Amino acid sequence: VTFSPATLPTELAYGEVEGIESILDRESLTKVCRSIHDLFGLSIRLFSNSGALLADVHTEASICRYVNTLEAGRPACAEIVAQVKSVEADRDIVCHPCFTGAEYRVVPLRYQERLIGRAIVGPFLPVSRTQLPRSLVVLDDSIDKQLAAERLAELPRVREETVRRILDHLDKMLEMLVFASHRARLTSEMHVASVRESHRELAQKSERLEEAVERLRHLDELKSNFLATVSHELRTPLTSIIGYSEMLETGLAGDLTDEQHDFVRTIHQKGKQLLSLVSVLLDANRLERGLAALDFDCVDVAAVLRSVRETIRPAVDAKRIRLEIALEEESFVIVGDAIRIEQLFSNLADNAVKFTPPDGMIRLCARAITTNDFASGFGAVLLPRDRPAIEIRIDDSGQGIPPAERAKIFDAFYQVDGSKTRRHGGAGLGLSIVKSLVEAHGGSVAVDDSDLGGARLVVTLPVDGPLR
Amino acid sequence: MSDILERPSAPPMQIDYKTRELTLKLVYYGPALSGKTTNLEALHELVADQHRGRLMTLETRDDRTLFFDLLPLSFETTSGLSVRIKLFTVPGQVMHDATRRLMLQGVDGVAFIADSQISETQSNLEAFRSMQRNLRDNGFVPEQVPLVIQFNKRDLPGVRSDAEIDEQAAHGSEPVFKAVALRGVGVLETLVGLFERTWSQLEAAHAIHEKFGVSPDDVAGEIRARLGLPGEAA
Repeated sequence: VTFSPATLPTELAYGEVEGIESILDRESLTKVCRSIHDLFGLSIRLFSNSGALLADVHTEASICRYVNTLEAGRPACAEIVAQVKSVEADRDIVCHPCFTGAEYRVVPLRYQERLIGRAIVGPFLPVSRTQLPRSLVVLDDSIDKQLAAERLAELPRVREETVRRILDHLDKMLEMLVFASHRARLTSEMHVASVRESHRELAQKSERLEEAVERLRHLDELKSNFLATVSHELRTPLTSIIGYSEMLETGLAGDLTDEQHDFVRTIHQKGKQLLSLVSVLLDANRLERGLAALDFDCVDVAAVLRSVRETIRPAVDAKRIRLEIALEEESFVIVGDAIRIEQLFSNLADNAVKFTPPDGMIRLCARAITTNDFASGFGAVLLPRDRPAIEIRIDDSGQGIPPAERAKIFDAFYQVDGSKTRRHGGAGLGLSIVKSLVEAHGGSVAVDDSDLGGARLVVTLPVDGPLR
Repeated sequence: MSDILERPSAPPMQIDYKTRELTLKLVYYGPALSGKTTNLEALHELVADQHRGRLMTLETRDDRTLFFDLLPLSFETTSGLSVRIKLFTVPGQVMHDATRRLMLQGVDGVAFIADSQISETQSNLEAFRSMQRNLRDNGFVPEQVPLVIQFNKRDLPGVRSDAEIDEQAAHGSEPVFKAVALRGVGVLETLVGLFERTWSQLEAAHAIHEKFGVSPDDVAGEIRARLGLPGEAA
């Protein structure tokens, strides 16, 4: 399935004229030529570049009729006509004489700097011609000079200056006709092409929608299967490990020595850690597949933060952590993917809870700001300097993040405490997921010292969404 | 015999080796009423008769562009290379997206005409997004298409300041021009800027220098001179 528009013909894409015969109306052309013929008595023939005759307005001159009655006249006349037709006039008007003393002019017709055809004007008699030319006198022994002179004098007699002005006028009129016809042609062709393109777009969109529905149905099935498998294959044995170790720990299977008690507690804790790790990995996997298709809409960040507060409340209460939430306004609406934004702040909040010691404190603040922080790259100049944004801070009273570590904490699988004996579990994916999500929304995330003694994570999201 | 050279991510250009003729298609893109047609009208006024053809506008009764405007320019370089430039505009109104997409076919370079008024910032961004989408749909990588950005209507009240534009331009990668197209200010500079950017990319993709024996600097210099612009700023 191709998703790009149908290719326009070169002629249309570049606004070119490939052949004037296809765009010019021959009747209009003939009328233009006839008006000049009626005014000045000049015969005009128009040819396209490919040699097609487009208009022919002429009156056979009496001298030509007479010459054609002579035995040597007929072939000589045919020869002149053939010569005139084969004259190559590219840029300048070419003058072609006839043995009768008359003249032809071959006028190149140009449009958009290209030769599109030519006009042949004549025969006519230059004003300077007062006598029978020798070429006519010697043509045939039987020529009647008196009659020939009379017939020649019947040709239209035009001054050079007048010829120039007539040809200039003809050239301009024809160029105007070509221009008007070309415009009409492009308009109608573009009209058809645009309608066709709109239709293609709609047809393609509905096809995509149908495909998407089908794919979603399929994915939904796969996901259910996958999750069922994972929960069965991983969670079921883990649950047993956790459950039995817990039972052992509480003494259900008899008393334990202190050492046995410690071992069993460790098994129990690590089992729980492994279970949450499996959940995080599943999240990261889902995120990777889903980032390309963010579903942008209006999202109220304040509502998201309030919902996150409710989600972490049990964990916060268990550690007797004080949780403050300070939202400068009732709602902060931005362009974003609601599910991803919730995931983003859940991750940050979970992190804060994880790293805050019992009886510590966590604070969530949000305020509207203007910023120029993330204006860089392609098309950045179009962004206003004071771009409206929402700044969300998450402060905790945990151990904080040393300055040297701050650049690395957003890397996947990175842990500040990389030792095997580190106190806090996790796959080291939380903050890398956060960073991917923030960047997909055109925002930025940074880490700093908190006035609560621990870390402060600052997320800034543009109100109007990403530039691309 | 003209052929369209197609390479992925290299601009298609019409080359006629027999007549030593190159045809470039440059498109003026931007939001509705940002002054795309006005740019072409100003160029039509400013460029000498022998270098330009008739300005063709296809517009509706209320003077809005329906399909496109077309201004053909042509330059014979002293080296005998004939450079034809087809300047097109696209219709700015949102409903004409299909036409805009079609007009980008075969494009060699784009001038994005932005409206300087602060109130138009969102329209500029929307148009820029639509341009990228439409380029992509035509098989282009938007970041690789020669692009210049013009901030038009500098003479109106309530516009973004010069200092702000300069500061933002430093973050971006494309040349930025300021213009008052209605008075012809900045339009030649925008055209030449786009031409130079397009030409250097074509040079990289098609080795024009090698095939026709003309250096990009010479052609750009000649066209600058013909348009009455001073030489390239140091």
